[in-house]
Amino acid sequence: MRVKGTGWVGLLLPVLFLVVFFYVPVANLLREGLTRDGSFSLEFMRRILTDDYFQHVILFTLWQALLSTVASIVLGLPLAYILTHYDFPLKRVIRSLTIVPFVLPAITVALGFALLFGRNGYLNQVLMHLFGLSEPPLPIMYSVAGIVLAHAFYNAPIITRTVHAAWERLDPRYEESARALGASPWYVFKDVTLPMILPGLLSGAALVFIFCFLSFPIVLSVGGGRFSTIEVEIYIRVVTQLDPQLVNYKIGAALALVGLVLSLGMTYIYLRVQGSFARQTEQLRPRPTAPLFVGLRDFVRPTKIFLWLYVLFTLLVFVGPVGAIVADSLWEDGRWTLRWYSYIFTPDYEALLGDSPLRAILNSIGFGLGATALAVPLGLIFASVIVRGRWGGRRLLDTLLMAPVATSSIVLAFALLRTFNAPPFRMVGTAYAVIIAHAVIIFPFVVRALVPVLEGLDLKVVEMARSLGASRLRALREIELPLVARGLIAGAVFAFALSLGEMSATLMLARPGLNTMPVAVYRFLSQHSLGAPSAMSTVMILVSALAFVALERLGERALKL
Amino acid sequence: MLRRAALCTLLIGLGLAVSTSFSVAQAGEGAKLVVYVYDSFVAWGPAKFIKTEFEKRNPGVEVEFVATGPSRAMLARLVQETQSGGTPADVFLGEINDVPKAKQFGLFAPLNESDIPNLQTVSKALLFDPERTLIPYEHGFITLVYDSQKLTPEELPKTFAELTKPQYQKKLIIQDARTSSVGHAFLLWTIYNYGNLGYLDYWKQLLPTILTIQPGWSAAYKLFTKGEAPMVVSFSTDACFDARYKPLLPNSQGYRTIFGAGIVKTTDNPKLSRAFLDFLLSVEVQEKLPSTEVMFPANSQARLPKEWETCAVIPSRPVMLPLDLVAENDDRWLDEWARLVVTGR
Repeated sequence: MRVKGTGWVGLLLPVLFLVVFFYVPVANLLREGLTRDGSFSLEFMRRILTDDYFQHVILFTLWQALLSTVASIVLGLPLAYILTHYDFPLKRVIRSLTIVPFVLPAITVALGFALLFGRNGYLNQVLMHLFGLSEPPLPIMYSVAGIVLAHAFYNAPIITRTVHAAWERLDPRYEESARALGASPWYVFKDVTLPMILPGLLSGAALVFIFCFLSFPIVLSVGGGRFSTIEVEIYIRVVTQLDPQLVNYKIGAALALVGLVLSLGMTYIYLRVQGSFARQTEQLRPRPTAPLFVGLRDFVRPTKIFLWLYVLFTLLVFVGPVGAIVADSLWEDGRWTLRWYSYIFTPDYEALLGDSPLRAILNSIGFGLGATALAVPLGLIFASVIVRGRWGGRRLLDTLLMAPVATSSIVLAFALLRTFNAPPFRMVGTAYAVIIAHAVIIFPFVVRALVPVLEGLDLKVVEMARSLGASRLRALREIELPLVARGLIAGAVFAFALSLGEMSATLMLARPGLNTMPVAVYRFLSQHSLGAPSAMSTVMILVSALAFVALERLGERALKL
Repeated sequence: MLRRAALCTLLIGLGLAVSTSFSVAQAGEGAKLVVYVYDSFVAWGPAKFIKTEFEKRNPGVEVEFVATGPSRAMLARLVQETQSGGTPADVFLGEINDVPKAKQFGLFAPLNESDIPNLQTVSKALLFDPERTLIPYEHGFITLVYDSQKLTPEELPKTFAELTKPQYQKKLIIQDARTSSVGHAFLLWTIYNYGNLGYLDYWKQLLPTILTIQPGWSAAYKLFTKGEAPMVVSFSTDACFDARYKPLLPNSQGYRTIFGAGIVKTTDNPKLSRAFLDFLLSVEVQEKLPSTEVMFPANSQARLPKEWETCAVIPSRPVMLPLDLVAENDDRWLDEWARLVVTGR
């Protein structure tokens, strides 16, 4: 691999891909927010920035994103600590499963939350029963608390993953020296550990903030219509409103522009933080881990009690909603039943118009693999250019190519619908459209997963192998790929998960025959059969979990880890 | 080297994507009729029956339902597509409150009885559109629906005014008027009763009664049946599906909701589209609507299922705002309503 010179050619592909399938369509849509009667005008921008309703919406968007980020850190950090410091059975599987929340479409999560935390949910019922209350004591659903908790459900795993990665690489000798010099455990954490895991924490937190800033189906369903964020307004104004003067449409486009500018700004900060984190120390010794379960006496040690309380709370928030959905799919009128499963697997069930759930499973996996196969190589090319390059404007380009993160999938789907609806590029309703939309959505995540890995790759090792007579192919196969393999697999699995869970864009761009699992859940939800969406969600959770574990194993074997 | 390997993988991936897409794209040949419709029409069943039977009668024809959202979103999609290079849609089915607005875009072709013979069978009371750009195929009444295991008949509110009493705090689930046609009808219903000037004051008093405003009917109804609140905004025919959930008619009213079908002006299949609309109005399809859509058929010759005599309630005072009044004020009403529910002011 030559260090200089090859960058520009490689850069062309990912840039071209995003320009054609992201920038042109989205700019085409956003332009509406800056024009009036065909000429440039700031009227709609001025309107939303001076109207106290939109000020309320923008402030609420930032406020709930901030609260959700804090909640995600509170929930995610201890799990990172446990993963780093303790050993327990099935640790690897559990670590792979932390990604499951990501595939769940918001409608499923909202349903799970209602079943668990609703006024008539399991939690309130148990509390009312225990304390003899007549009114449900926990008003979590339909409030800011519900929105924040649901966002934490989705995003705490990001904090766990980024912090765990940083913590694991931290050389334990720093802490040991500090302890040996007499520092208390708290001081060691505050002055030694925290500064070193902080970049991982901050970059995770920035990503979570962007996600929560842009989230809209959770706000719509868990919060309900009394809460509105920028994305909710965009969705309502652009996708469902009709007026011949296109006022709502233009306001929606102007709001999308405000949202994009704010989230791109945050992305830039995120990239700077991640950049400063890149120069890390060489780790000489892996961190020691202790078994989590030592013996029965261990359960009552004061330090462990905190840990158990946390584990209990985590189980409630993460496993609870998923468990509630599974229970809902199996339980009807006080009896266990498999009725809903036979119902959804009835051949050519009406709701899907020819797409059996089996077809939906295959489509989901096919689109996921297709999008991953498209996004991972593109991401790899781009990440390696970004990492090797030392030219100015590199970070700006990096920020710009992260823009799909800063755009909600519904806006992207709508933009694609407008642009690729007419000849010469009519592709709405084809598998291409779905795969490309998914690839655009997951591309930034692939890049972010690969950049730190490539930064850690020591090129000297590769050059050494080459100078000792290894062929290019051999150097690639035996040196480079194994060195980046873990990051590559993690990025690919994460990208695959995002594709599996994507619903809004798929629903908009697909046609009968191309339905995916989340679309099937959506279809089952819009009819009277109550257990069917839960049964389909359960099938989806199982299929995705299996796919993650299998992908990680297969990937590791293929890349000789 | 790593980059070159990535490039190769990319090409292989692209090849795979192209080949899969191609095999899918090859699936349909011959005449294709694309029908844009709200999502529940597809989810509940009449779509499947209509597709199978219509294709049987017209060999070589394929019917494709595109249902990516509620009625309003489908209409908005149609408008967007028409303005950005053309839509594949031939036929549109949707809620009638949005129709006058859609007319301003000139989307639909006018229809008459020589084109659609079955139009003669439609009850005259339902023909709200004098130009017949959208013709009714089913109708129903928006009412409140209550859980008879949670509330006794004595505990029920009799009027809109009683609904704001403190005893009903957090007892009602409604739908967002901006995204759901059911929620929209409920908003129009309050405007019918409290007027253009008074409705916001009424909503201010109603807010404590509302547990949550859900984006669509299905999410709202699901929460209702899971026991989150004992009342929901829904249809007067719901008891036909489950007798536990009974209609509750404040002020003895029900708000009329009508669903209409129209032919998109730019269609390549005008003849087939007309045949489709005629089939939709035929007794055969119309008699399927009560059991699948839980709505009343528009064809006056279609017989209702026997049990509907008792379970389906026709309000003694069906009400509806004139469509041109709705078209004129709707954007303002929705805007004012959203400002009130979101900011509380």
